[in-house]
Amino acid sequence: MNTSDSDEDAYNERTALVQSESPVVPSYRPDPGPGPAEESKGAGISRRSRPGVDGGESDQEVDAEEEELPLKYGAKHVIMLFIPVTLCMVVVVATIKSVSFYSEKTNQQLIYTPFTEDTQNVGRRLLNSVLNTIIMISVIVVMTILLVVLYKYRCYRFIHGWLILSSLMLLFWFSFMYLGEVFKTYNVAVDYPTVAMIIWNFGAVGMICIHWKGPLQLQQAYLILISALMALVFIKYLPEWSAWVILGAISIYDLVAVLSPKGPLRMLVETAQERNEPIFPALIYSSAMMWTVGMASSTDAQRSETDEEAEQNDRRAEPRSQQPRAVSEDELEEERGVKLGLGDFIFYSVLVGKAAATGGDWNTTIACFVAILIGLCLTLLLLAIFKKALPALPISITFGLIFYFSTDFLVQPFMDNLANHQFYI
Amino acid sequence: MNLERLPNEEKLTLCRKYYLGGFACLPFLWLVNVVWFFKEAFVKPTYTEQTQIKTYVKRSALGLLLWVTVLTTWITIYQHFRAQWGEVGDYLSFTIPLGTP
Repeated sequence: MNTSDSDEDAYNERTALVQSESPVVPSYRPDPGPGPAEESKGAGISRRSRPGVDGGESDQEVDAEEEELPLKYGAKHVIMLFIPVTLCMVVVVATIKSVSFYSEKTNQQLIYTPFTEDTQNVGRRLLNSVLNTIIMISVIVVMTILLVVLYKYRCYRFIHGWLILSSLMLLFWFSFMYLGEVFKTYNVAVDYPTVAMIIWNFGAVGMICIHWKGPLQLQQAYLILISALMALVFIKYLPEWSAWVILGAISIYDLVAVLSPKGPLRMLVETAQERNEPIFPALIYSSAMMWTVGMASSTDAQRSETDEEAEQNDRRAEPRSQQPRAVSEDELEEERGVKLGLGDFIFYSVLVGKAAATGGDWNTTIACFVAILIGLCLTLLLLAIFKKALPALPISITFGLIFYFSTDFLVQPFMDNLANHQFYI
Repeated sequence: MNLERLPNEEKLTLCRKYYLGGFACLPFLWLVNVVWFFKEAFVKPTYTEQTQIKTYVKRSALGLLLWVTVLTTWITIYQHFRAQWGEVGDYLSFTIPLGTP
């Protein structure tokens, strides 16, 4: 299995008590495919490291003095996640606002959303979007279950191949399309050799960084970029109303899949925990490196499903921490990090991007952005309280949807009217 | 991936792999090599593998410089003469700007 150092977690009872905000947010992976190909979505669950069995001593005496720590770590963790999520959304919104390709209406639709929204009747349109959503969610459920089955029967090579194929497509094909559109927007002439060099370098270094070894910041940057690319594909190829219904439905699915005892994501997480295996690095965004000397680490396994042709993203947030062994005499360093699945990035960006593309003006976009960040904060807070894998989508998406619709339909006309009458409040 | 906690031999192998990989028309990989291993090669106190890492970083920087020159020259030539080349220019172009030049 491909493991990167960042996935090692050392977790033992001491850590469990010390870090009260180490619950893991399950990640959710959608796998959208490009226009010609189908898209698939996978949901991944993120797990957090299970408490280690090292040292059975209780930490009551540590508890009191370390009660201050969780808060401090909590704020830092939140900021560590805010930055990448914000960056991803900024990239998506900047692209939507400048490159018209991604907000143009297109008749081409993904095969996951076969029902058209071109009808006159409002009821018919609503029905079509609901049907599209049902199809999309069933594809995701099937993919998730397939992934769980593959993982249970240890078909690691198949999963690896799938992951590599999907990130290949994302890094080469989507970025090629993206680059072409950017050049067309700015009306510059570019020749094939230069484009070939750019795409080849971008893609090859991306594959190396994500799937093998590379500098952490570069890996994070690549993960943010591919999430943004995927979100842009979603924004372009999902029909209007279907996109909103799908966002809502996926949050509910995430909730169910992660929290219910028979949920596929939960089963994935538990299986991975039993086997004490790390999660595939290509599916999770990790915000910090952990290092320790002579420490056994239990890693969280995270699974996300992927479509045969599409890439998979994981969403989950997970604080990682390391705990020095009680017997070690070396100086051990601890650094905590948070992990969030890539699917979370994608869907947050889809929401904000759609708000930027179809909403009124910047009011709506910024309102959605703030809503998502608030949701992320709350999710991390819940993570700290419950200390187990949690879905990262529901709260943020709910807030985002509420803010979008209320801003678009209530606040926007209100502000416009005020401006029209030059009435300042 | 944190370089801090890798043993020195592994750092050397990583540096070498990045260096060799750059020969596949990947100057970006050389750039990553230079930036990532710069501290290791020039700032850190000496250790056994450091001389070799230094050579790799230096050679990566050289290769990177070479590629940058080649690419800049080609792009300048192309942008300048594209309109004059007529059909060949169009054949080479990925995107053609609209409007009169």
